[in-house]
Amino acid sequence: MSSPPRTLAPYLFLLPGIALFGVFFAWPAVLAVETAFTDYSIVNPTHWIGMANFAALWHDAEFRGAILHSFVVMVGLLPFSVVIPIALAILVNNALRGIQFFRALYFLPVVTSMVAVAVAWNYVFDDRGVLNWLLERLHVTAGPVHFLLDQHWALASVIVVEGWKGAGTYMMIFLAGLQSIPDDLHEAAQLDGAGGWQRFTAITLPLLRPYVAVAVTIEIVNAMQVFTSVYVLTQGGPGGHTETAGYYIWSKAFQHFQLGYASAAGIVVWVILVVLAIVNYRVTSRGGAQPW
Amino acid sequence: MVNVRRRRRIGRYVLLIAVGLIFAWPFLFLVATALKPATQDVFSFPPSLVPRPPVLTWLRDAWTEIPFPRYLLNSLLYVLGGVPLFVLVSAMTAYPLARMRFRGRTVMFFVVLSTMFVPTELMLIPRFLVVNQIGLTNSYAGVVLPGVLSAFGVFLLRQAFAGVPHELAEAARLDGCGEWRLFWNVMLPVVRPSLAIAAIFGFIFVWNDFIWPLVVLSSDAKFPIALGVAYLSGISGTDARTLSAGTVISLIPVVVFFVVLQRHVLEGAKGAVKG
Repeated sequence: MSSPPRTLAPYLFLLPGIALFGVFFAWPAVLAVETAFTDYSIVNPTHWIGMANFAALWHDAEFRGAILHSFVVMVGLLPFSVVIPIALAILVNNALRGIQFFRALYFLPVVTSMVAVAVAWNYVFDDRGVLNWLLERLHVTAGPVHFLLDQHWALASVIVVEGWKGAGTYMMIFLAGLQSIPDDLHEAAQLDGAGGWQRFTAITLPLLRPYVAVAVTIEIVNAMQVFTSVYVLTQGGPGGHTETAGYYIWSKAFQHFQLGYASAAGIVVWVILVVLAIVNYRVTSRGGAQPW
Repeated sequence: MVNVRRRRRIGRYVLLIAVGLIFAWPFLFLVATALKPATQDVFSFPPSLVPRPPVLTWLRDAWTEIPFPRYLLNSLLYVLGGVPLFVLVSAMTAYPLARMRFRGRTVMFFVVLSTMFVPTELMLIPRFLVVNQIGLTNSYAGVVLPGVLSAFGVFLLRQAFAGVPHELAEAARLDGCGEWRLFWNVMLPVVRPSLAIAAIFGFIFVWNDFIWPLVVLSSDAKFPIALGVAYLSGISGTDARTLSAGTVISLIPVVVFFVVLQRHVLEGAKGAVKG
């Protein structure tokens, strides 16, 4: 290959993007690292305090709790990002009349704001809401379950809302995957006498694998930053039981104004995120190229 | 045989509708509550979805309780300012990545990719510090600019530009077309469908964005509608019906937009994976 032609054109095109990257990604990243080693707090003068923030984080039970909750969210959201969306994609992967309407309906929560979604779900979760009515009718529970106020239920409730809201995104990813599988593969298997379930495990699942990799990567990044749902549904309560990493960082920075400390927490969370993304990439991309 | 197939199809529809209800029910209750008269309980066992009779009082209340028109206008301004910028910057960044050979191309590719792995929530504090330093806190530009560069938009359009036949660009070059004119007059029109998809997603992002405006805005005069609704829900004593009504109003633009353009939105959601 010859060396690239010397021309300014590509760089001129890239200029706005590079400038925005510099101002809103690179510069903040440098600032984040810098601030993490200080006691910056807006109100008091700032001092360089070395590793003190990180040392304090290590002993901060609240921070460890927040990380733990984020992991719970990450695991809890997996079914909503892989299993359920694959089922949904299979359900809508046909040419039935009106199928487009159902795809759109399942995708609707994705395009609505989390604030609106939270208001709507309050009617589901209320003591006298639909869910409690259903549970009592089916004799699962005797009295009302306080979904958002009970420490055993609150985080699960947040996960359900997040999972419900995001499922449509993943459904579309898997629908793209299903539609990339040539029809004759299924037809050939059918001629060979393979049943529906056999074809699903032998053809569909292996070919969906790169899409699973994409879905899980997106899920990890999203789960680590769950914030708005917590903010509008529980404010981290009851008793910090729904405080996620994202919410913890926000509240330390903008409620307690400990920006240095919160920056350090952000860096720890980011490192965890990158490690998880790499591990996930290693595990899921074996034997198959990523579709991106 | 025909009967079996027909029964299966009906079974499919029953399943589709049942699943549809799971996705629709919170919204159904939201709309029902917004229309229920004061004489009807918001909650009842069994739950009721039918307002008897439907009233518009709460929609009017929500409209006046908080400066709703102001918030809607703000959201519109954020969309009108942010979305064209988002589309243009995405296209300008994607174009050389898709069509040109130059030194640093791989680096640029990873730069764009890296933005996907820096979650907004973690960039919140340092970005706030930067925006503070350049004096953009509590400004419209401060709300819009950080979201303009996104891996999603760049990869979506890179894919589109890569699919444009080479003959087209060659023909334009032979006609003495400069790089910018080639981009602006030939390439952009060809990838218009993808530009539309980028614009639609830009609209949805901007309309629903919550955490960044929450952090960067100090005056509620510049609140977008999502913050307005959160503010309404935080006012103690706000009636559940008024809150529902306000939420319904905030949803109307984005839902209408989605219903009209759903085909493109769903294509975009699919296409984004295949970058």
